[in-house]
Amino acid sequence: MADVAKAGHSLLARRMPGSQQSGLREFLSFRLGADVYAVELARIREIVSSPPVTEVPRSPSDIVGICSVRGLLVTVVDLRQRLGLLVSPPTKLSRILLANTDSGEVVGLLVDEVRHVVRLASTEIEVTGSVLGADLSDHVLGVGRPEGDFVVLLDLASMVET
Amino acid sequence: MAEGVDKAREEFFSEAQELVESLSRNLLALDAAVRAKTEDPGLVNEAFRAVHTLKGLAGLFGAKRVGTLSHRLEDVLDSLRLGRLPLTESVLDLLFRAVELYGDALSVERARSDDPLPAIDALIDEFAHLGSEGPSGTSPLAKFELDQAMLAVLTEYEEHRLKTCVQQGLLLYRVRVDFALATIDRALEDIKARAKTHGEVITYLPTGASTGIDTIELDLLLASASSLAELEASLASNGAIIEPIRLRRVEATSARSAPSLGPSAPPTPSPPAPLPAHSLSERAPDAVEPNAAAHRAIAQTVRVDIRKLDALMNVVGELAIVKNALARMSERIRAEGGRQLGSELHSIQRSFERRLGEMQNGILEVRMVPLGQVFDRLARVVRQIGREMGKDIRLVITGAETEIDKLIVEELSDPLMHVVRNAIDHGIEVAEERLRVGKPLAGTIALNAFQKGNHVVIEVEDDGHGIDETALVDRAVVLGMVDPEEVAQLARSEIFNLVFLPGLSTKKEASDYSGRGVGMDVVKTNISKLGGVIDLHSEAEIGTKLTITLPVTLAIVSALLVRIVGRVFAMPLTSVAEAITLDEKQVRMLDGREVMTLRGVTLPICRLGRIFGLAPLPGVVPPKRQYVVVATLGSRRLGFAVDDLQGQQDIVIKPLGKSLSGVRGFSGATELGDQRVALVLDPAALIEEMLRGSETARERRLGYG
Repeated sequence: MADVAKAGHSLLARRMPGSQQSGLREFLSFRLGADVYAVELARIREIVSSPPVTEVPRSPSDIVGICSVRGLLVTVVDLRQRLGLLVSPPTKLSRILLANTDSGEVVGLLVDEVRHVVRLASTEIEVTGSVLGADLSDHVLGVGRPEGDFVVLLDLASMVET
Repeated sequence: MAEGVDKAREEFFSEAQELVESLSRNLLALDAAVRAKTEDPGLVNEAFRAVHTLKGLAGLFGAKRVGTLSHRLEDVLDSLRLGRLPLTESVLDLLFRAVELYGDALSVERARSDDPLPAIDALIDEFAHLGSEGPSGTSPLAKFELDQAMLAVLTEYEEHRLKTCVQQGLLLYRVRVDFALATIDRALEDIKARAKTHGEVITYLPTGASTGIDTIELDLLLASASSLAELEASLASNGAIIEPIRLRRVEATSARSAPSLGPSAPPTPSPPAPLPAHSLSERAPDAVEPNAAAHRAIAQTVRVDIRKLDALMNVVGELAIVKNALARMSERIRAEGGRQLGSELHSIQRSFERRLGEMQNGILEVRMVPLGQVFDRLARVVRQIGREMGKDIRLVITGAETEIDKLIVEELSDPLMHVVRNAIDHGIEVAEERLRVGKPLAGTIALNAFQKGNHVVIEVEDDGHGIDETALVDRAVVLGMVDPEEVAQLARSEIFNLVFLPGLSTKKEASDYSGRGVGMDVVKTNISKLGGVIDLHSEAEIGTKLTITLPVTLAIVSALLVRIVGRVFAMPLTSVAEAITLDEKQVRMLDGREVMTLRGVTLPICRLGRIFGLAPLPGVVPPKRQYVVVATLGSRRLGFAVDDLQGQQDIVIKPLGKSLSGVRGFSGATELGDQRVALVLDPAALIEEMLRGSETARERRLGYG
């Protein structure tokens, strides 16, 4: 077990450049269905409460559509679909996370509810891709356990590259 | 800091590009002059000046290859303006090649690549072989009683001009003027300008004998065909004293009457050089006529990155949304009883709307550039290809002043170049053939441009032998692009459109320029990317005409808002011909497609709701009656069936994000105000897709529907 945690550790260090092993890393946690997920906070530029989204015919099924945030055209991704989870219609609590991608495009991630910022020490992060579904493991950095909680840490880069 | 350097480098490249373009224009004018057997020393001078500036700039930015090329080119141009080298077609060929090489050299430098450019060395080699022939025989100046002191201080260039003028039989005059030092700049320009109308001012020199301490007396040496009386009438108001320079007596000789002016002879120094301290003749050889007006014109223009204009246009788009919000607000206030306040707000909003409109037009205007920019480049290509293929081509350009969006102009160059190459290569016959069919020896290529509503039309016409329709169809059948059984049903326009299919070429042997079957399809793709269409018409033995229709700008478009299954889409008005109500009884099936008859012509119908696979929205009742929006692009027409028409609006099209790059049929999206976003339909792509009736459309429908 100790070996696994160590391996995960080095993997994380490689996947998230600039992070310091000793320091705390910040993630934004949110809910999809009953589970809690999180993405690197530095990637998120803004959280918006569901602006009107225009569907785009002929687009991949996990794209909800496009919306405009103060003049910026954003493609909104249904995170549930992209992760292969059950799809459900948005609710009052649904939010769109505007995330900066490597290509410079700003992508909106539709989530069921935004929770809070999680600070994780490297010792609180482990890689356990194998316990999760196959669809998911591609997009997972690891699992965080802040104070007994269970948060799936998602790799944004792999999720928005289509 | 680094950013500043990059910016300066960017400016260097755009300035260099402009210089090369102006060089190219000068060469074209020179070419015309050579053909017309006339001479324009100003043109060689301007070319020389452009290259000289380019050399300086290249040195400043370490652009070695550009520098080397400029240096050698400068030498050649210098020899030309000094008359050491006669200006011939073959010299012009080399000069034009240099212009092409500048393009390569600049892009290599821009990429900061160290790749060698052997073509430059090859050209420089040929420059070296040009050799220089000096004028021989006795100097024509010998017959004039010219002041030796004056002759001695002429620069080599001035001496060359003087001789040329004398050889042309012009008379020489000495114009003596006493200038006040305070106003000499303007007064000198003034008298030079007046004198120029009579001939050429060879030089001007101080006489050293001024009447006062704050004046200076100059002698202008003028070559002119006018008589003394004419000159006096014109120049007397400037206080000029004009004396003709007399011809020598026949036997007159002088030790210096025929100064040796061999190819490499430096200006002969003369022992008694009576130069006052503030000599005006001490000018660098490259300092040609200072052109004050041109300098002012340059100072009043700025170079702007087009992205900055895009950013401004976006702000205008945002403001339009604010404007709509204001309008709604004033409506609401009026509805809630605040009539007075509501009306005031309404009038403020109206004036805001007007100013915004002016601003929008202003920004659009800034983006516009004349098509002449790209036509100049084409003229060069025409000349080059014509010469290399041994065809005499006359290029006739009309409407070069027609303006179009800068971004479109940039993208037009390649497609147009290809079209013109095709016309010369495939269209224009060889000389013997032209003689045989009784056409003028020189083939004509006409480039016409004009504005037509929101479109700019560019026509490329040649008077060649036209397209062999039978050969074209045969080839298409052989390649399996056309079903042999369908051949008989093809309309003429459909036959000509075969030209745009990938891989089709009727010329049996590919040449260097065209005919390899790649090209016209690429041309068509590039034109449609700009929202344009291309049509071709040809008459056997008479010629071929290609018509390209483009939107004036891509930045902002008027759009028709339509509703389809509860969703709003925008359709650019540039492609909308009309909208009519759809009579379902008129719709018939033809060849697996829905069609209706509109004023006697069959119109294919495209049900956008169906091809987009739009699911009905809850609570939205299908309308009792539908509309057909007729879109035309070039000669193609298609009716889009929509549920409702919602009016017209000016929109700024924003491109869809990378994650949607695979989605076809939309050119982008736009904000409608009240935060809603509407997709902008791409009629060109949809028409193409529908009329092709290909499997892909059906597959897509199944895949996403």
